[in-house]
Amino acid sequence: MVLWVAALQPLLIGAVLLYSSAVKLAPRRSRPPTSGTALARLVGERRAAWALRLLGVVELTLGAALVLPPVLPVEAVAATALMLGFLGYLGYARAVVPDSSCGCMSTRRSPVTWRSFARGGLLLGAAVLAVPAATSWLDAVGTRPAAGTGLLLVEAAAVIAFSAELDTWWLLPLRRLRVRLSHPLARTSRLTGPPLDSSVDQVQHSAAYRSVAYLLRSDVVEHWDEDDWRILVYSARYGGRATTAVFAVPRLRYEPQAVRVALVDDQTGAPVDPPDPSKLDHNTLSNSTFHEGTLADLTLRSGPLGDASLNDAPLSGAGAGRTGPGAVNVG
Amino acid sequence: MTHPIDRRRLLTAAVLGGAGVVGATAFGSLAPEAAFAADDLTAQAGLADPNFAEGRITGITGGVLAVTGSDNVLHRIRVTDATSIWKLRPTTLDRVAVGDGLYARGARLGDGTLAADAVWVNIVNLHAHIRAIGRNVLSLDHRGQPIVAHVVPGVTAASYNGTPAVADLSLLRVGRHVQVLGAWHPDSNEIDIATVYAAAN
Repeated sequence: MVLWVAALQPLLIGAVLLYSSAVKLAPRRSRPPTSGTALARLVGERRAAWALRLLGVVELTLGAALVLPPVLPVEAVAATALMLGFLGYLGYARAVVPDSSCGCMSTRRSPVTWRSFARGGLLLGAAVLAVPAATSWLDAVGTRPAAGTGLLLVEAAAVIAFSAELDTWWLLPLRRLRVRLSHPLARTSRLTGPPLDSSVDQVQHSAAYRSVAYLLRSDVVEHWDEDDWRILVYSARYGGRATTAVFAVPRLRYEPQAVRVALVDDQTGAPVDPPDPSKLDHNTLSNSTFHEGTLADLTLRSGPLGDASLNDAPLSGAGAGRTGPGAVNVG
Repeated sequence: MTHPIDRRRLLTAAVLGGAGVVGATAFGSLAPEAAFAADDLTAQAGLADPNFAEGRITGITGGVLAVTGSDNVLHRIRVTDATSIWKLRPTTLDRVAVGDGLYARGARLGDGTLAADAVWVNIVNLHAHIRAIGRNVLSLDHRGQPIVAHVVPGVTAASYNGTPAVADLSLLRVGRHVQVLGAWHPDSNEIDIATVYAAAN
């Protein structure tokens, strides 16, 4: 029984090695397959591509030897040594370059996780098991076709399940199907009214906003709903005095031309007439809005929030809609 | 500052009518030159903008935040009633905590303190792929690293194909690219989503 199982293992290991070598030896795409891998750190960026190809050739040779007759114990011993090497490489990658990509079976970036080790362990076990094999996998499948095919399928399924690179084959389609059948966020629209972001968008597309945008100093300070209106409050400065800009936005409909604005003096509480935008010089205006820019220029810097990679600057396009006066294109 | 409710009533009346309009000329010239006269351009090419600060909050005393920048520059940032504070939503200083990250913009005072006009706390802007969708959570792949993005009912909005944001997140699909604006949970890989920008078809 053990010898029968052992005889099947070369096919599994060989198939995995052949697939892996095909990925490494395939024509180079736009991104080098070594980018972001621990291999580049281990042997140097310039030698990494050659090291990866060499590894691909070794995998191709050993994979072909395992799958094709004759059955030689040295093949399984070589596979065991290779799998031990892979596990050592994974340990090195995890310890020295934790953010690195495995680069094992795909050019897709996939970090080294417990799944990588589980796959390495599984293949190492299969390689050790294959050492005493005396007959070809073809003969073993021939003697018990159903059991042999079943065992190989289970083992292959385990390898695929432990391969993060192959998630696009099965895990993503499964998740897509699940979301299509019953979307977990389907109820979000029923629970809440129009989001603040939508009101800010309306404000920023309104003539009222264009007339006072260069006076605004802050992002939204506070907001509240008043019947059919949503009130948004910004801090502003007008003629050297601290003022408050109050926008009234239609709450349940998108109608930027209906947005109203008032400026209120902070000290006296009296409304101030906003200036007539038609009298403004556009050159002066654009300079001023640039000066008062908020997120538009601040996101051009690297993010301070702990891990700088958490911030993908710059904030542009739709993302800038959320922000303050800096993002506005007046005139 | 008047009572918040009175203030809100006053501001609502000002914008929706019901309050007498005082002539703007009572406060001086309406010419744009006058409005801009107080704001000299202080940023110098090649130098750090003095009116901007970023970093992690190390202390909060009264209305002053002690902040250590990512370049280890220390900032003192004064927050007033007129300062807008964003932490997933417009909020107040009492919701800001030591350890939070921030971006602040304002005017540098003579003593080096930044009088903030606007503060964005823990704001992040990510491009990612949706790995999975759960109940009130998106699992994102950000350059190979997992990010847990929480949906906050009543706050989280989605903007599809660049159109104004809506509360409906049911058009998000697994495997699609998204841009997420959100608030980071300090020292973790978790964020709360403010707005998610996605394609829908």
